[in-house]
Amino acid sequence: MARGRPISARFAFLVHPFTEPVRRITALRTIRPRLGLSRHPRPGPEDCRPICRLVLEGGGRLVEGVVVTVPLLPQALLDDQEAAVPMMRAAVARAGGAVEVVGLGSVLAVVAGRGTALQQYLWQPVTTGAAATAWAATENAEAAARALGVWPEGPIAVLGHQGTVGAAIADLLRRDGAQRLHVVARGPQARRAASDGLTPHDDPEAAVAGCRVVVGAATTGGILAPAALDPGTVLVDIAIPRTLSGPTPRGVRVLAGEAVLPPGTYRRGRWGVLYHLLAGYGPSHLFACLLEPMLMAAEGRREPFSQGRRVGWEALQELRRLAPAWGFSPVLASRWRGVSPTRLRALRP
Amino acid sequence: MDLPAHVDPDLFAKVRHCFAEALGLEDDEVGYEARVIDDLGAESLDLLDIVYRLERAFDIRIPRGGIEKVTREGLERGEVYETNGVLTEIALEKLAAAMPEVPREEFAPGLKVSEVPFLFRVATFYALVVRILEEGPQG
Repeated sequence: MARGRPISARFAFLVHPFTEPVRRITALRTIRPRLGLSRHPRPGPEDCRPICRLVLEGGGRLVEGVVVTVPLLPQALLDDQEAAVPMMRAAVARAGGAVEVVGLGSVLAVVAGRGTALQQYLWQPVTTGAAATAWAATENAEAAARALGVWPEGPIAVLGHQGTVGAAIADLLRRDGAQRLHVVARGPQARRAASDGLTPHDDPEAAVAGCRVVVGAATTGGILAPAALDPGTVLVDIAIPRTLSGPTPRGVRVLAGEAVLPPGTYRRGRWGVLYHLLAGYGPSHLFACLLEPMLMAAEGRREPFSQGRRVGWEALQELRRLAPAWGFSPVLASRWRGVSPTRLRALRP
Repeated sequence: MDLPAHVDPDLFAKVRHCFAEALGLEDDEVGYEARVIDDLGAESLDLLDIVYRLERAFDIRIPRGGIEKVTREGLERGEVYETNGVLTEIALEKLAAAMPEVPREEFAPGLKVSEVPFLFRVATFYALVVRILEEGPQG
């Protein structure tokens, strides 16, 4: 991909399989037949291996990323968070070379203190992707709201606003001028939300009522009954598992909330294409969380964009400035395909 | 802060610190009787983080879904825990017994399984830590 050219900076991006079949495919790619073919494999640190390399060019710099798999399924990571830490450390070591930044994907970004436990062992800054996810989801929600003619009046619902990413999204939307933001909050949290200019409701169904744009940012999936969404609604969804507890109702469009279009200077190679597909990115898009270590390496930034519970305003602003400067743009997308604003406008309430 | 007589202040201080670190709060913002979600603003990933920090602080393992698991295991043969996501009367009784720090009236008929985390107090986790410490190392 970039043969013979000096690499300006390197980052490692740690990922994990979501399902057993994906773990087996990845194991075969990394030539770990014990994992790929055994009926009940027990992965160890030695099974953390690179699966692909990614390259970003710009401003005379060549940034290389190494995607390294930690072959634990989500359930195993959640059941024994402490066991994830030596696996992640081994994965960073396996990235090889002078890795300057470490990014964490999916469940790796939330277990073991949301990057803080791993940070205790590494000199490289560890970043979890929360800021980039919030940026992409906010931009996509605003684009959807503009397409539907409800920006900035709204109302727009943000489910999960008490969480790290949801709070950042609500903050960005409010500062960008959203006039009515509906959230779920009770008791003292409701009073706090109201003082922040948000409209609290007791439950998700009440929060989304009357909203044509809903951001699904809760960290527990399946929190919203499909019947709660009226026809003509757009759900910008970043939740895993998905926000809706059942099939998408007629007339409702669900968008991949953190989908990002990379620039032409981003390259992924053959194995990178496989990684993209297995990770659910699709052939043309990325999930925003990958941007954080990439941009940090590209810019020589030492401060993580995200780590632990809170995403700082400075980090959000900086990400908002850097991502488009390097050619990345959030994109309205559904099931690996771009969705034009025209198609959204065709949704009828 | 006034604690109930049965609460070990040093042990509670450690529990409180875990909550404060996980939620980005000061220690003195975490009260013994505070509701974890409605008062302290926690959400599900925070509960995961709180459990992780408690495990590290006390060198224990907290099984996932510990309280629900204990309650379900406490049911007799034929007793049902929930119907269409709503807790049965027997489940409400068992949960109330497992969580004495929560006012009895909060275990009202119609309570959903998904609403159980809203009942959690800091005291709930304190009691869980105490129980695990008293049980000693497992396995």
